[in-house]
Amino acid sequence: MEKSVNNAITIDSVSMEYQTAGGTKRVLHDVSYQVSEGHFVSIVGPSGVGKTTLLRLLTGLATPTNGSIAVRGQELHGPPQGMAVVLQDYTRSLMPWLTVAKNIALPLKRSGLSKSEVAERVMSSLEEVGLSGSGRSYPWQLSGGMQQRVSIARAIASRPSILVMDEPFASVDAQTRFDLEDLVLKVRADFDITTLMVTHDIDEAVYLSDEIVVLRGSPAEVREVVSINIPFPRSQVASRNDPQFAHLRTRVYALVRGLE
Amino acid sequence: MKSAVSRIPAGVVTTVVALLVWQLVGSFGPLHGDSFASASQAITGLSSLARQSDFWSAVAQTVEIAAIGFGISVLIAVPLGVVIGLSRFAYRSTKFTFDFFKVIPPIVIIPIAILAIGPTLEMGIFLVVFANIFSVAIQTAYGVRDTDPVLLETMKCYRMGTWSQIRYARLPAAASQISVALRLAASASLIVAVVASLIGGAPGLGQLLGLLENAGKTSQAYGVVLFLGIIGLLVSRAIVLAQRRVVFWSGK
Ligand SMILES: Nc1ncnc2c1ncn2[C@@H]1O[C@H](COP(=O)(O)OP(=O)(O)O)[C@@H](O)[C@H]1O
Ligand SMILES: [Mg+2]
Repeated sequence: MEKSVNNAITIDSVSMEYQTAGGTKRVLHDVSYQVSEGHFVSIVGPSGVGKTTLLRLLTGLATPTNGSIAVRGQELHGPPQGMAVVLQDYTRSLMPWLTVAKNIALPLKRSGLSKSEVAERVMSSLEEVGLSGSGRSYPWQLSGGMQQRVSIARAIASRPSILVMDEPFASVDAQTRFDLEDLVLKVRADFDITTLMVTHDIDEAVYLSDEIVVLRGSPAEVREVVSINIPFPRSQVASRNDPQFAHLRTRVYALVRGLE
Repeated sequence: MKSAVSRIPAGVVTTVVALLVWQLVGSFGPLHGDSFASASQAITGLSSLARQSDFWSAVAQTVEIAAIGFGISVLIAVPLGVVIGLSRFAYRSTKFTFDFFKVIPPIVIIPIAILAIGPTLEMGIFLVVFANIFSVAIQTAYGVRDTDPVLLETMKCYRMGTWSQIRYARLPAAASQISVALRLAASASLIVAVVASLIGGAPGLGQLLGLLENAGKTSQAYGVVLFLGIIGLLVSRAIVLAQRRVVFWSGK
């Protein structure tokens, strides 16, 4: 997918430290990386290495101790326009007191859309994720996989140019996981969204991504960036049987484990 | 198959047993005498009171004190609790003071209230407000603080401001806390309204209770107590039902 040379996100020499009771904890050290417009990038690395920390910096929820981050050329100060998020813990990021449709509509409140346009957006987003009939349900009436679909519908309803996901499928069963992976591929193709995903599942990263960023060390650095040149559109059966697939997953696995 | 006995609600059984015990103790026990009424005497006393307009105007006064006091407590304490809950500093600095005031029984400030306001309806209302305001504010603040940080961060990512966060996340998240606080406050309001009238001389059932005692009308005095128990139960029940409808997602 070498369609664009523009950068959706530019991470420039970013370091991050937390001040804790036990002193300064250095989590990220001199991380630089550029996410090309339209790319699907996965961030992998051992548990606790700093993946979520990096995502929090990219979403503007936290500010790096050093270095800078720009989203579509604009330096970050707080959560930027045009970015949507999906988190692992759907039960905690959806509101149990609002229906599915209202959960999706909520971030559109200040978008300047009229009531009927919002309703239209909600409808089409639900349709996109295969939940047309569930708008009036409450999130807790749906299965885990369906709730995560609602999170995805909420994300795309604002027509973001960038989608950021932190271990979005870690809490669902294997079959649901495959379905959601394919949903994300479809969404990304339909809306041409730059997608950044943290995952600890290396197969998933290889299956979905254009590029995989491997974080390692303490404080973490970018150990390697691996290009995944398995052709799009991908499919669970064909792509996972691509001779490249086995090779790439072994390589990424070794990088994550420090076995290279 | 379930037996006929096990299908009777547990509350009914305990109530019947309690009434029977009351009846037996009142008729045969050491408390038997002029200053103690049995269950049947209390019921008779209450039914004779129910035919007197004095009784009903005392009921109206007590309910008025309790209801206005409760209303004022809610109107002040909930917004105050929200404001306190929004700021870690405000929460930390008020928690100690509020916890301190919360445990002061309203009865001990009756003398001050009488001196300042006099034995009036307003004094009763003041006591009810004093009895509720700190605990409701603290519970509200606690609920607001306890809002899931993941939810709040999600809202921030979607660039929803402080007001949206209050309206759509913090208030609903605090709703079950608040409703529990309100249920306790409603019962407390009734009790404090009676105490304010019994000891503090505010108008209402407390005064009537004192008069009946002094006149030796024991069974009617117990009838008043029985009546208070019944409306206390009804109010609490009504709030539980309302709570189930308003905080319908709770526990889901
Ligand atoms: N708010 C925080 N304060 C102090 N330390 C933190 C904080 N958030 C994360 N950390 C620490 O930073 C490291 C990286 O955490 P995280 O980014 O969540 O890792 P990952 O998502 O890769 O599992 C961990 O050691 C974690 O304990
Ligand atoms: Mg993480």
